[in-house]
Amino acid sequence: MRNRAKKIITGIVSVALVVAFNYTVKSQNAVTLRLNEILVNNNSNAVDDFGQHSAWIEIFNSSYNTVNIGGCYLTDDLNDPTKYWIPTGDPITKIPSRNYIVFWADNHPTRGIFHLNFNLIEGKTLAIFDANGKTLIDKIEIPAGQKPDITYGRPSNDSEDWVFLEKSTPGANNDYTKKKSAGESFVEFDPYGIGMTMIAMFVVFSALAILFVIYKNMGRFFIRHANSSKKSASSEQKPSEAHSEVEMSGEVNAAIAMTIHLYLSEMHDYENTVLTIQKVSRNYSPWSSKIYTLRKTPNKI
Amino acid sequence: MGNFFEFVIEHLVQFLQFTAFANLTVGHIIMICIGLAFIYLAIAKEFEPMLLIPIGFGILVGNVAFAPGYQIGVYESGSVLNYLYFGVLQGIYPPLIFLGIGAMTDFSALISNPKLILIGAAAQLGIFGAYCLALAFGFSPTEAGAIGIIGGADGPTAIFLSSKLAPDLMGAIAIAAYSYMALVPVIQPPVMKLLTTPKERLIRMKPPRTVSKTEKVIFAIAGMLLTTFVVPSGLPLLGMLFFGNLLKESGVTKRLADTAKGPMIDIVTILIGLTVGASTQATTFLTFKSIGIFALGAASFVVATFGGVMFVKIINLFLKEGNKMNPLIGNAGVSAVPDSARVSQVVGLEYDKTNHLLMHAMGPNVAGVIGSAVAAGILLSFLA
Repeated sequence: MRNRAKKIITGIVSVALVVAFNYTVKSQNAVTLRLNEILVNNNSNAVDDFGQHSAWIEIFNSSYNTVNIGGCYLTDDLNDPTKYWIPTGDPITKIPSRNYIVFWADNHPTRGIFHLNFNLIEGKTLAIFDANGKTLIDKIEIPAGQKPDITYGRPSNDSEDWVFLEKSTPGANNDYTKKKSAGESFVEFDPYGIGMTMIAMFVVFSALAILFVIYKNMGRFFIRHANSSKKSASSEQKPSEAHSEVEMSGEVNAAIAMTIHLYLSEMHDYENTVLTIQKVSRNYSPWSSKIYTLRKTPNKI
Repeated sequence: MGNFFEFVIEHLVQFLQFTAFANLTVGHIIMICIGLAFIYLAIAKEFEPMLLIPIGFGILVGNVAFAPGYQIGVYESGSVLNYLYFGVLQGIYPPLIFLGIGAMTDFSALISNPKLILIGAAAQLGIFGAYCLALAFGFSPTEAGAIGIIGGADGPTAIFLSSKLAPDLMGAIAIAAYSYMALVPVIQPPVMKLLTTPKERLIRMKPPRTVSKTEKVIFAIAGMLLTTFVVPSGLPLLGMLFFGNLLKESGVTKRLADTAKGPMIDIVTILIGLTVGASTQATTFLTFKSIGIFALGAASFVVATFGGVMFVKIINLFLKEGNKMNPLIGNAGVSAVPDSARVSQVVGLEYDKTNHLLMHAMGPNVAGVIGSAVAAGILLSFLA
């Protein structure tokens, strides 16, 4: 029975670990990448390092840690997920947390690792696949009606929608509007801080009140448990052997501990460490007498 | 030969320009005097010497007026002090200190009388009182939040939160928090006496019961889970606090607990004290804002003490005779451990030589640590 329980627990823990591990791995690797903005017709928009106006794709790392896009695949054909392999082992493929990377869809892969082997064509589906070439990370169908120098992208980093953007922002946040900080927004509604005080005190009280309730009940449980185990122990003893056991309070324990501490470490009073030698008024003393300090003259025989 | 002398003189002049004497300003002198005052208070008056000596000496270090550009100062990238300061800026040191605090804190008083937990919550009123005042004085919301946390009377929490909300004010906030923590025996007693009646000061509380090891272990785990589930942004501080406590209470990780509460917390205290002190360079520290922060800090301690004491008085209205709490332990709800609990004890003994409140005051005192970390988490969630 015990072995069986052990096996069940081991099984549950293993499954939980595997699930947790998979989840963690997924949440911290390339699956957090997102296609963020594209420009199909680049007439006078950003230029690449060869001075060319090419179509481009912006990818956003939505996680809060650095992700290396090296090893992943970009494609414009879902039936050919491994169309363009992003080379590994290059530090420039690392995308810092909440940051962006731009690829040039110019069908010139010999120009560098950020130059893809396909162009952007309306109606095709642009996709990014994980390093295994099977797991689809993100995709977007390039709609018809792409205008020159007008990008198509997510209006903000966390948006699921795609729209034609008023301003192209390669390698930067698509939402360029000035935003108020959380604090500024909060103060607009609560200029004197009264609301914050009430909410925050409520939360602090709630958090500690939960602890209070749990510990009040738990304390009762432990006291009851201690009493019942004491009773059962005393009932098992023969009446002649039974002795009255007095429960000591914390104060008594503290007093005993303090006494032992004082006994062991503070037996001496604080002593003055300055040694003063004062000359006594009486000049003669057996202690200062030379007679007593000299050895006795040996007797001649 | 003439060229040689010109060369020597030119370099001597250059050398003199590099000395601190040439770069000294009135601000540096004022800050050096403040640093010396801290060291004096620590050595002569024994006010929080573990904190005031490193901070005081750090102030001296930070206010040696060097010529900029030689990677010397705490604010110069690549300098040794800047590397050490990284732990403050990125909020690394405070959770490590909380680990040590957890490993040295005994939550028995709290577990045996859970009512005391709520005092730790009430005393956080100081944080939000100072927040309101700071807003009224024209500080920005994030600055007000960072200043408010001084009222939590918790140095590591103050540094942690100000590094996130208002890094520019961190030096002043940390110095104010630690200074007022050291001055708790001066600030709190008048407020406590003002708010209590002679009869209330004589209330004797029930002795706490003995707490089993199982209860302490469960407290460390449940405490972490419950508080961080409510305020996840408090995780760095609360997680480390309860982890340190579990190391202590589990009984099987004595070596780890000893390291956390011994060498590690000592090392981090040295680093945090010295670098926070050094961050008070006169050029960045001596501003009207800093003066405002100090004034608000004092007010926050008064409000926190008020909150704790008044809460006990209100709770007493609902408690039966014999179960009542002495309001003199209310001040201990601020988390200046164990100084504020010691203040309860000292003030209590003034009125009854046999009424020892220390043990009871330790409950709200450690609850205050939890409460201030929770409050910091809330401010972070709302304002960051």
